[in-house]
Amino acid sequence: MLEVKNVTKYYGDFKAVDNLSFTVKPGEIFGLLGINGAGKTTTFRMIMGLLEPTEGEVLLDGKKIDYSVTDSIGFLTEERSLLTKLKVSEQVLYYGKLKGMDEETIMKRLDVLLEKFEIPQYKNTLIKELSKGNQQKIQFITAVINEPKLLILDEPFSGLDPFNVEMFKKEIVELAKKGSIIIFSSHRMEHVELFCKKIVILLAGKSVIEGNLKDIKKKYKKKNIFIKGDIDIDEISKIKGVYDVEEHGDEYLVKIEDESVCDDVFNKVKKYKNITKFEMEEASLNEIFVSKVGEAYEK
Amino acid sequence: MRNKLKFLIKTSLKRKVDTKWFKIVNIVLCLIIVCALNIDSIISFFGGDFNEKMQVYVIDNMDGNVYDVFSSQINASTTMLTTGTDNDYDIKKYDKTLEEAKEEVKDNKKIIVLEFNDSKENVMDVTLLSKEYMDLKDMTILNTAINNTKVAYSIIAYNINPEDLAKIYEGVDVNRVFLDEEKNDTSENTEVIMSTVFPVVILPFFMLTIILIQMIGAEVNDEKTTRSMEIIISNVSPETHLTAKIIAGNLFVIIQAVLLVAYAIIGFLIRRYTGGAAIAGGVSDYIVGVVDSIKGTPFMATLGYVIPLVVILLIITFIAYSLLAGILAAMTTNIEDFQQLQTPMVVVSLAGYYLAMLAGMFKGSLFIRLLSYVPLISAILSPSLLVLGEIGVIDVLIAILISIGFVYLLIKYGIRIYKVGILNYSSKDLWKKMFKAMKTKKV
Repeated sequence: MLEVKNVTKYYGDFKAVDNLSFTVKPGEIFGLLGINGAGKTTTFRMIMGLLEPTEGEVLLDGKKIDYSVTDSIGFLTEERSLLTKLKVSEQVLYYGKLKGMDEETIMKRLDVLLEKFEIPQYKNTLIKELSKGNQQKIQFITAVINEPKLLILDEPFSGLDPFNVEMFKKEIVELAKKGSIIIFSSHRMEHVELFCKKIVILLAGKSVIEGNLKDIKKKYKKKNIFIKGDIDIDEISKIKGVYDVEEHGDEYLVKIEDESVCDDVFNKVKKYKNITKFEMEEASLNEIFVSKVGEAYEK
Repeated sequence: MRNKLKFLIKTSLKRKVDTKWFKIVNIVLCLIIVCALNIDSIISFFGGDFNEKMQVYVIDNMDGNVYDVFSSQINASTTMLTTGTDNDYDIKKYDKTLEEAKEEVKDNKKIIVLEFNDSKENVMDVTLLSKEYMDLKDMTILNTAINNTKVAYSIIAYNINPEDLAKIYEGVDVNRVFLDEEKNDTSENTEVIMSTVFPVVILPFFMLTIILIQMIGAEVNDEKTTRSMEIIISNVSPETHLTAKIIAGNLFVIIQAVLLVAYAIIGFLIRRYTGGAAIAGGVSDYIVGVVDSIKGTPFMATLGYVIPLVVILLIITFIAYSLLAGILAAMTTNIEDFQQLQTPMVVVSLAGYYLAMLAGMFKGSLFIRLLSYVPLISAILSPSLLVLGEIGVIDVLIAILISIGFVYLLIKYGIRIYKVGILNYSSKDLWKKMFKAMKTKKV
């Protein structure tokens, strides 16, 4: 289990991370979210043992993270951390050896992973000759080559097309099923929603939302109603508690302040003709993120 | 961690040595060195009259003694004015007239005709006939020989017997006396020779220092700018990483130095087996001359402990340059910035090189002596001053101790900068950050 306990990090007088705490159990995928400069990278670096927290501690299975345990950690950085002059096999071998692995095991796993990601033909290609998406695949392979106990993924889907995103998702879920602790960061909330059971949203180094994603969504009062049919948008907009109405293709998205407004909307909608859909959903993580970060900004 | 250190060293070294550019550069270096050492043979191969002796025809219109006097004087002048032992002139007595000689000279630029005539005002007049301009060396030797011939001829005219004349022209024995009993004229000559030879000997050190700085700096910078550093440092400590770079960098420099020596040996072997030294007084003659003049001198006896001390000083200085290059590269965010930052290091090394060359001209300079203790330049300057007898072994030991202290400080404070620098991607408040890092034990 990964435990981040009351961690604070100062750079001079600047507080980059403020009393952050969370735990992630084996098999869990945890989302660490925040806008640029929120403190995600600093948190990752402290988890990796690259930076020493000013206060608090980070433990993996009850032990402080140092160079005796980093062999069982995988790290995928936001920017490409590849030596572009090397061949794919040389790069993976380099990082794998730094994880204390032997060459034979690295090469066996590399072959399997290259097959999985459908790029076995690039084994001896220079990294600089690969496309952005394929470079990201290689970077992912270097992060998981040691079958890590703890895997940190900072923007793993950057530069990937939807097809490859699916490929990555499958692999990440598979690793979680095998018992890896996965910490995941992305600006794309729909990705986080798909994976993460637990999240933390950081703003200026401080947690503004944390906990189980389902609970967070439940607790978040604002809801969305999807309606399909001939409705009068102006009339719906005037209902008390409706704060926005948007057209989404042939549907309407009605945003309401809380669940109680749903009855008022339904009563109005049932008067219209050709209504084929009326469905209330919880707000998306993206809305929660924008709303919470916006609130905190205003404060 | 030790295995990872070994792996990092191996990888780093392989990345430099196992490249086509390393091979190409070394082939070019090998060709340049071999050609430079055999340049006279190469020039001869493509044609020329370098070994053809100059024919000097002497027309003696005086009393017939001038030819003999001139012959002995030109030998003396050649010995005095050149380092070679061979006489480059073939002197012949010419019985024909100057007009007839012109016929022979017009088709041969290796013939010079000297016509000696009586002169009431000036003892003798000389006409010098040649097809083209003569070079400075020939002109100087001939002028000296002609003037000496005039003096010798005049002395003979005063009936001084040949034995006395020989004594007059014999060199004066100078009895060299030193108040310092440890000094002697053999070592004095050695110092003079070494002051000219040493700058050539230390030139490779200067070159290798530059290679070392560039190699370590470029590699650290490359790993940093590609963000690979974050992955590497999450697996090995910054101390291990920097140590690997330093060891790999120095091993690379040693390999390159060994290769340079090997190319020189190849060059000399080619020279030897192809009947080199086509031109008298070539490179090998010079080296042999230098080695011969050092052999058997007290300086030779000191080499037993001077060489190990100099080697220790060189190793420590290489480590200091490596540390400095690594630390500066960690501070920079791109290769252009590192290139700017390495300039002062190159200038310091260059200053040491120039000071080593100037040391012989400013004997007794306290300033240069003090600079010989300064780390980074002491490796070049101290041995130079030691060879010149300006400093003693104790001074070299002091320079070693100061360099060790400098390396210790670089390790103690520099590694803190390195730790912060390798993960810093912004040049904003860079120096402030680095000074702060230097004071902070916990990063």
